[in-house]
Amino acid sequence: MNSQLEISWNARKLSLLADRAIHLASENVLFIADPHFGKAATFRKSGIPVPEKSTQEDCDRLAQLIKLTKVETLVILGDFFHARLGKTNEVHQILFEWRELFKELKILLIRGNHDIKSGDPWTDLNIQCHPDPFNLYGFECRHIPVTNSNKPFLAGHVHPGFTLRGKGKSSIRSACFHLNESKIILPAFGSFTGLKNIQPENKDKIFLTNGEDIFKVP
Amino acid sequence: MVIKTKKPEQDSDRKFNAFFQSRGWKPFSFQKKTWRAYLDGKSGLVHAPTGTGKTFAVWIPPLMEWIEEQNTKKKSTQPGLRVLWVTPLRALVEDTTRSLLEAVEDLSLPWTVESRTGDTSGTIKAKQRRKFPSALVTTPESLSLLLSYPETKLCFSDLRAVIVDEWHELLSTKRGAQTELCLARLRKWNPSLRTWGLSATLGNLDEAMATLTGHGKQGILVDGSIRKKFVVKTLIPRNMESFPWAGHLGGKLVKQVAEVIDKKSTTLVFTNVRSQTEYWFDALLSVRPEWKSQIGIHHGSIDRKERAQVENRLRAGNIKAVVCTSSLDLGVDFSPVEQVIQIGGPKGVARLLQRAGRCGHKPGAVSTVICVPTQAMELIEYAAAREAMKQGKIEQRSPLKSPLDLLAQHLITLALAGGFREKATLEEVRTAWSYRKLSKQEWDWTIEFIVKGGKTLGAYDQFRRVICENGVYSVPSQKISRFHRMSIGTITSDTSISVKFQTGKILGTIEESFISRIKKGNHFFFSGKLLTLIRVRDLTAIVKLAKSGKGAIPVWGGGKSPLSSELSKSVREKIEQFRMGKSKEPEMKAMQRTLNLQSKWSALPQFSEFLIEKTITRDGNNWFLFPFAGRLAHEGIASLIAFRMTQLEPMSLSVSFNDYGLSLCSNSEKTINEETWRTLLDPKGIVDQLLECMNQSEMAKRQFREVARVAGLIFQGYPGAQKSIKQVQASGGLFFDVFSKYDPDNLLLTQAKKEVLDRQLDVVRMTEKLEEIQSQKIILHSPNQLTPFSFPLWAETLRTQVSSESWSDRVRKMANELEISN
Repeated sequence: MNSQLEISWNARKLSLLADRAIHLASENVLFIADPHFGKAATFRKSGIPVPEKSTQEDCDRLAQLIKLTKVETLVILGDFFHARLGKTNEVHQILFEWRELFKELKILLIRGNHDIKSGDPWTDLNIQCHPDPFNLYGFECRHIPVTNSNKPFLAGHVHPGFTLRGKGKSSIRSACFHLNESKIILPAFGSFTGLKNIQPENKDKIFLTNGEDIFKVP
Repeated sequence: MVIKTKKPEQDSDRKFNAFFQSRGWKPFSFQKKTWRAYLDGKSGLVHAPTGTGKTFAVWIPPLMEWIEEQNTKKKSTQPGLRVLWVTPLRALVEDTTRSLLEAVEDLSLPWTVESRTGDTSGTIKAKQRRKFPSALVTTPESLSLLLSYPETKLCFSDLRAVIVDEWHELLSTKRGAQTELCLARLRKWNPSLRTWGLSATLGNLDEAMATLTGHGKQGILVDGSIRKKFVVKTLIPRNMESFPWAGHLGGKLVKQVAEVIDKKSTTLVFTNVRSQTEYWFDALLSVRPEWKSQIGIHHGSIDRKERAQVENRLRAGNIKAVVCTSSLDLGVDFSPVEQVIQIGGPKGVARLLQRAGRCGHKPGAVSTVICVPTQAMELIEYAAAREAMKQGKIEQRSPLKSPLDLLAQHLITLALAGGFREKATLEEVRTAWSYRKLSKQEWDWTIEFIVKGGKTLGAYDQFRRVICENGVYSVPSQKISRFHRMSIGTITSDTSISVKFQTGKILGTIEESFISRIKKGNHFFFSGKLLTLIRVRDLTAIVKLAKSGKGAIPVWGGGKSPLSSELSKSVREKIEQFRMGKSKEPEMKAMQRTLNLQSKWSALPQFSEFLIEKTITRDGNNWFLFPFAGRLAHEGIASLIAFRMTQLEPMSLSVSFNDYGLSLCSNSEKTINEETWRTLLDPKGIVDQLLECMNQSEMAKRQFREVARVAGLIFQGYPGAQKSIKQVQASGGLFFDVFSKYDPDNLLLTQAKKEVLDRQLDVVRMTEKLEEIQSQKIILHSPNQLTPFSFPLWAETLRTQVSSESWSDRVRKMANELEISN
């Protein structure tokens, strides 16, 4: 597996995975956000040519993570689908085959803004859908982060990215985890997704990841 | 002079003579030459500086022709669409329409002249499609859009001529290539169609004409430039001793500039970049606070309404000065402009001519440009520009070579307009000069790309942008048609933040990267005003006027033009003359002390020499090389040497470059002898190595944004765009990554890389330069201090790092630097 970093957050030990997921070993659960399955298919149906492989690769990557972490639960923090247009037979087939690998796995989806428009996943994927937010393990699972929450939360939606600037013009832009004591915003899991640069505030921490390595920005 | 006519053209001749006389003008011989050529059915190109009457040279003959036709007919009819007038700037469309209409009204002809651009309302557009005006003024994008409607062919059936204004601006761009493809189509509909271009003087006029008239067609080149007189003056700093060698410290001359402005009633002050415009506007106000309502500012990021106000005041002559960028390079007469000031180096002879031509607009008047240096070396540039101008050494502008992104866009346009067949369309496309060498393989790939989405999509049947049935390619989906029509064009706009007052009044746009560094409550300059940032939300920065204080000046991306090869050659000649003690110009006299220091501390290289300086500063070892080949080629050479050095031993190098040279900085103690330099500067294999450099930097990825947008991968949305559009938006960088991973042979990737090589690194000029260096004597100097040549390079703040380290190592290193600086 690619690298990971262990952090403690609200008296819990969490692993931030370079594969853009969070592993909470104490509860045997894996969190991801914003896979945007079927995004490439949506583009193609709209006449924009995008090579199809990202959905398959993302499923393979997810399968790998589930195997290695041996979790019992997968929590998806919203935007399972990209758009209704992308819910094609091919995408269904790929997801179904992936689901078949882990029949016992419990999957929860916090409905994101894209899910509301595209509708819940096919029933044969056996995914429990919940409205945003949803309480779990003593914190909140959200899709859209909020500024004032009573409880600490995990969220997606933002697709956070960060540009690290070096001397002169050199810079590196990557996806990142954006967190402080009250929240963790996960990077988007889907590989065909963009980034939105974030502006960290004083006590925020940023963990850059390129999919293989993860690195804390001081 | 008597107009010799073979045919009985009495009526039209009389009318036109009266027209010219009523304005107190006499037709120039070049105008008459154009009229005759046009009436003979010929196409061509008229080249002349602005303000010499080019417009009438090409506008009068279609009118003449129509009048003659009426004489032979029994009943006179109102003309349908006879003339298409294509102009590069939307801002010019209204002015052009007005001046064409004036001529028609003066002659009391029943012609209608209307405009059609992206700003034209839907109702008017629909009305025009039902009944076209006699002459339509439009932009390349709007013309292309018109061609996407099947009924256009019929409406264009009486089209006699296409006039392309300011062709030099379009020529070497994708918009130019788009114009060429449109012309190819129009010529196919009507082989006797005449195309006439209007252009400033260029170094490759024949090619400029060929791109317009099409591959394999003859045209007539008409020179209208004889009449205009140009004078280049330089504002020599009173105290050369303290004049800076580097930096944009021309502020020292603000008082002198204000004095120059005082002498005339209206002045245009040109700078090279938008941020300098803001800087100079503020600087002028600080020495002349009473000018607050008398001077204006104009650049591409200022809101169109604000700009139009400034333009109107210029036209009316009730503005003392306007500080501007190339946004005012083009266009219609601002007759009241009496003088032009150029701040900073002109970078090209053609550009200086163009700018000088903005004053003395009355035919026969003298155009004076006063140059204001912002650093020492620019003084040489002025002397060099004057010389090159005198010798008529004007830069070339080269057409593009078969850009496939644009071809893909154009083919979909044709598919929309009732469909196309492969063989005939390939022939048609190849009549466009830029595509005359389009290979069958490139053509096949493009067809496959629009039909199947490229090789990798293969059998994916849900992708249907264009379908082929019975040999005819067409677009089956209404939605795709709509998307396509909305995204026709080649202009790629950056993600920009609009700047607004709380009242909602829009000031213009700035870049996200700039505003992200401004904290709430802090000040910055924009649109000539000191503003306080209130908040940024949803791509909008809300601001209010600040009372007083200092503020940051925004920087906009977008390339600075490099010093042209004509001008850099001339600069080297000036240095050579100085070395021989033969300089006469005031600029060179002013440079005496500086150049003598250069000679004393290091050397003034001869033509046969190539100078390399090595100086140790606190940053480490600095090598300075002086190829005098313009900043783009220097960036290329710097990346190449850095790449080759890091191959020899692992190290990190900072590079910087300007128009005269480049620098490499490293903490390595290495000494490099002449032989090693010769190897590092070897022209062999540079393309492959540059491609490899490109993979390490993000250059190709950035360039892919434009390619992806033109090829229809990125839909350029606008505020309020439908949801269905937002769902299919992704950034160019993301497409680049996806294609690089899954479809590495995609020709659009190849094109992006080619564009970086040609346009960003100027690989042609680079190769020429490296070959030249191989025949030169390399002279190595190790001065104890920075020299007049090297100091500007050292001070150049934009540095790029080249290193062969991994993502993690680079991130770690940058993070360490962050920690140290905190």
